[in-house]
Amino acid sequence: MDTNKLIEIISEEVPRRKIPIHQIVLSFIVRDAKIWWTYKFWLLLDISGIILFVVTYYLFSLITTAQQIQEAGYMVGGYFTFALIGIAFQEYVHFAVQSINESIREEQWNGTMETILSTVTDFKIFLLGEVCFSFIVSSAVLLMSLLVGLALGAKFYVTPFSILTTVILTILLIASHMDIGILSAGIIMKIKQGNPVTWAFSWISQLVSGVFYPLGLLPWYLEWIGRAFPLTYSLDGIRLCLQSGKDLTSPVILSDIISLIIFVVIATPIALYVFKIGYDAARRDGSLGQY
Amino acid sequence: MKVEDLINIFRENETRVSSELTHVWAVFWANFKIFLSYKTWVIMETISTIASVAMYSFMGLQVDVKRVALAGYGEVDWLSFALVGVATANYLWMCISRLSHSLQHEVREGTLEPIITSLINMRSYIIGQSIRGFLVSGYFMLGVMVVGLLILKVPLVINFGTLLSFVAIILLMVFSYAGIGMMAAGLILVYKKGDPLTFLFASLTEFLGGVLFPLKYLESFPVLYALAWLMPYTYALDAARRILLNGVILVSPSVLPDVVVLIIYAVIFIPIGLRVFKWGVNRIRFEGTVATY
Repeated sequence: MDTNKLIEIISEEVPRRKIPIHQIVLSFIVRDAKIWWTYKFWLLLDISGIILFVVTYYLFSLITTAQQIQEAGYMVGGYFTFALIGIAFQEYVHFAVQSINESIREEQWNGTMETILSTVTDFKIFLLGEVCFSFIVSSAVLLMSLLVGLALGAKFYVTPFSILTTVILTILLIASHMDIGILSAGIIMKIKQGNPVTWAFSWISQLVSGVFYPLGLLPWYLEWIGRAFPLTYSLDGIRLCLQSGKDLTSPVILSDIISLIIFVVIATPIALYVFKIGYDAARRDGSLGQY
Repeated sequence: MKVEDLINIFRENETRVSSELTHVWAVFWANFKIFLSYKTWVIMETISTIASVAMYSFMGLQVDVKRVALAGYGEVDWLSFALVGVATANYLWMCISRLSHSLQHEVREGTLEPIITSLINMRSYIIGQSIRGFLVSGYFMLGVMVVGLLILKVPLVINFGTLLSFVAIILLMVFSYAGIGMMAAGLILVYKKGDPLTFLFASLTEFLGGVLFPLKYLESFPVLYALAWLMPYTYALDAARRILLNGVILVSPSVLPDVVVLIIYAVIFIPIGLRVFKWGVNRIRFEGTVATY
């Protein structure tokens, strides 16, 4: 067959239409929701796992005293509310960091990554689409954990300003942890293996960021290390809002917010740079779709 | 070359008579070598173990000791109470999940089919894999205990009698749950979807077994309290705590009832687990889905 004839047959007559970003992202969300819905049993297990976790710390709170919590400045709700906020928001950021890595790993594992990236879909939009659904799910999980906590007797100091400040702190919390996720995704692209960055980050932050205990209980050197982690400032700020009714007008909250902004400003370019190196290296090696 | 000549080259003159012990050793050694090759994983898990013990020690600073006394082990500090719980719960979780994880891995890598078609029988395979699981989990349990005893100076009663009794309780605990591990492995072979059964058991064990709090506090939830005492782990943990916190031994009147319950569970669950696993293997062989995941 004549080559030109062949090209004519497979060539597109209509030029590809530029699809708006929100439509592409929506397609990713719909796709992930459909896949997610097929694993109903896992969904049930995830939910029961979270409920069990919250109830475990409720029962643990029954043998604790509220003294250290109040000394740290968290006035309402005692240990249970303190731990509930720690667990719920830590799980939330864990999702934020893990979702980027896991979605890339899954696409590589299933061999669908190269297919998607050989279409006109831009890699940044691909990442955004992959992450969006995870955020919807993790936000629902966060809300559910807080509701289970409320049902078990957690107490919050709620004012419109404290809620607004909590939302701001949560956004900064996500932004700072997305940087960690992007950085580790860049490493995964290159080394194609488990992820020491995410692992180290999640363990160290659990130990030194005050998820289960106030920072004052740590020795000075661990407390000092804790101050390098964004989770420390986010949890402190969120707890001061929800357990003491503080808001943006409080100097402590402002200090937490400024620390988080500094972290985001420094970490974002570094994370994007590492990601670019990993992505370019994988493209150069032709190993984008390999795991 | 004639086909007959080719067959003659490949034909074995003698039938293989390797004993079951050789098969168990081969499975164990092959998998143990794989484990040793994951150096990063081992290092990461070791650091996680140390970090988790450190975390529990800081959590313990918020606990009221008088409330821990309600557990019935006397005036013990919470960290000792929790350390025994965390060490045994992690050990159990790793032992049960190890078999199903390995099987998932074999199916995914396409190595299960050669194993099934070889002369190795599945019983030797399970035993070999399980021994590997016990050793690997034992390493991490030892890590928790060493960090607790040597670095955090947790006051556990350690002597020849209590150590021997503790090891016996751990073995009984593993046997009482071995059936569940085998059931999970059998179900994974057929349904190819993760290991929800082991995950559910791990979460329930940690919650209902009273790893972090005395079970006395569960009494206000009668259904959960009854469920807690239906789990063999609750008895194993009770026995382990009596041994390491109070210094009693296996044949002491306070530990013997727990031992009897664990033996009963092992006798009931191991045959059921073996049947489910055999059913799973036979089904995937019949359906021709041994290598699909």
